[in-house]
Amino acid sequence: MKILSGTQQLFKSAFADFRRDKVRTALTSLGIMIGVLSVVLLIALGLGLKNYIEGQFESLGANLLMVLPGSGFTGEGGGGFGGQGIVGGAQFDEKDVRDLSRLSGIKYLTPVVFKSSLVQANGEEKAGYVMGANEDFFGLMSYKILSGDLWGKTEVGNRSKVAVLGYNLADDLFDKPADGLGKTLRVSGIRLKVVGVIKKTGDNEQDRSVVIPYTTTFGSLNPSKTFFSIYLGVESKDEVEAVSSAAEKILLRRYDEDEFAMTELSEILSTVNSIFGIINVVLMAIGSISLIVGGIGIMNIMYATVTERTREVGIRRAIGATKRDILLQFMTESVLLSFLGGAVGLLLAAGIVLLVRIWFPVALNLTAVLVAFGVSSAIGIFFGVFPAKKAADLSPIEAIRYE
Amino acid sequence: MKETRSTISLNKVTKEFLLGDGSVFTALKEINLDIKEGEFSAITGPSGSGKSTLMHMIGLLDRPTRGGVIINGRDVSKLDDNATSFLRNEFVGFVFQQFNLLNKLTIKENILLPTTYTRKRLSYDPSERAEYLMDMFGILSKKDQYPNKVSGGQQQRVAVARALIMRPQLILADEPTGNLDHKTGTEIIDLFEELNKKEGITIIMVTHEMEVAERARRQIRVLDGEIVSDKK
Repeated sequence: MKILSGTQQLFKSAFADFRRDKVRTALTSLGIMIGVLSVVLLIALGLGLKNYIEGQFESLGANLLMVLPGSGFTGEGGGGFGGQGIVGGAQFDEKDVRDLSRLSGIKYLTPVVFKSSLVQANGEEKAGYVMGANEDFFGLMSYKILSGDLWGKTEVGNRSKVAVLGYNLADDLFDKPADGLGKTLRVSGIRLKVVGVIKKTGDNEQDRSVVIPYTTTFGSLNPSKTFFSIYLGVESKDEVEAVSSAAEKILLRRYDEDEFAMTELSEILSTVNSIFGIINVVLMAIGSISLIVGGIGIMNIMYATVTERTREVGIRRAIGATKRDILLQFMTESVLLSFLGGAVGLLLAAGIVLLVRIWFPVALNLTAVLVAFGVSSAIGIFFGVFPAKKAADLSPIEAIRYE
Repeated sequence: MKETRSTISLNKVTKEFLLGDGSVFTALKEINLDIKEGEFSAITGPSGSGKSTLMHMIGLLDRPTRGGVIINGRDVSKLDDNATSFLRNEFVGFVFQQFNLLNKLTIKENILLPTTYTRKRLSYDPSERAEYLMDMFGILSKKDQYPNKVSGGQQQRVAVARALIMRPQLILADEPTGNLDHKTGTEIIDLFEELNKKEGITIIMVTHEMEVAERARRQIRVLDGEIVSDKK
């Protein structure tokens, strides 16, 4: 047998003590375990939410540029036809679309008419969103067809009464979503023929949409022939800024600065990101409370342990242990207790995350893991140092006489 | 055997304790004591005589209020905690009345425990030395057992082996037979005698049993904090 190194000796001694009272060891670590578990799970949940929402935006395409009336996304720009009545808000028309089509660097360009409406078919009546657009809309939104086909340029030119139906709305109206193909819908008195049903996108608005040529809305649906918004699909991400300012210049010829706004999706994304950044910090703070409670549990037990082992401290001091040796011995135990609790908590959290992933895109990241480990070890050190100091400062004579 | 060199000397050592009522109790009064290398001494005295305090001074477990403790020509009474701990580790081996073994460690691990606190490179293999000592004391077959599973006499042998593992200059035994029956106690004193004669190890025992004290070659009697007799 070779003589063990100092560190090995400390670990061996700590584990020997843990083995002696397994129940107490487990209960002491439990606090930290629960703390780490809750911190990691909360972070995973926060990240999952953030990823989910980011994913929703990204499915729209990060190169999307929206021209909205009013001051844009952050202002009072929403609202469909109703929104077009906002005082001072621009009411875009076909001339604007023609003007913008002269811009270079754009791949898609479509006016957007938006209206929430009741949709009747097959004896059912369900709420949906009527969207008037041109054929570019499908490319811009990367719609994938489930059955039938998308309508095209010809239908826009002919003001055809055709519709592409979102998956959820088709599912509500018909036995099977694909059954909607060829059926007739009634929306605000207009009869529309379903030429295609799209695959599920995961976006509620898109999955409940009835997409029709914008020209078709120019009757009872949209007598003023104006558009709620104009969407531009920029060819590459790097050109978004340039296209945005060029488009703004064009529109400024007809409208005042405060009548419209250019909104980039990346802008919305960064707003969402900063909101979730704050939510994550709050979640971590809540989780940390349980970590601190766990740390106090360790301190409590370590104090009891020091009293219980006063005689052991005396013996060790008599045969040559320095104050530092005793301090290290007790610190090692509390750090190990805390660290092991943290490790078990992390493993459990990883298991739960893997399980929850089946339903919701929760995510573990390295930061969460490192923070959990770092904090649990730090707690072991912080809450371990007071009892360990008490042990180290015991007088050898008093300690060895202790019964 | 040369007996000229001193192992440890106390020079006018006084120890005072502050009592709860604010008064001062003098446990040791200007004690002068010189222990030569290879001596086998017994410190005797009734309880409260100061013999335990004297042992704590010799064992470097406590510091004198006044006076010096000289080891190998150096006053060690003013050293800091670290230096004193190293000296306890290397210079002295303790044997206690209560054996004071750690029941969570095996017998061999108990014997090796002082070597885990040493700051110097040992010139021998500690494991080999532990087995040699266990063999010499007839406890080698118990090396992987735990102390509370063996007899009192065997536990005290483990404690003596632990005291010897660092090859100390001095063995300090505090009532080594106090927890043992007469026969086993005699065996432990036989062991001390043998170690002293054959290996030349300096031994100091604190005891109140006259029969045990008489086995030593020097008897130091303490009463009321003073040495009242010193017979060789």
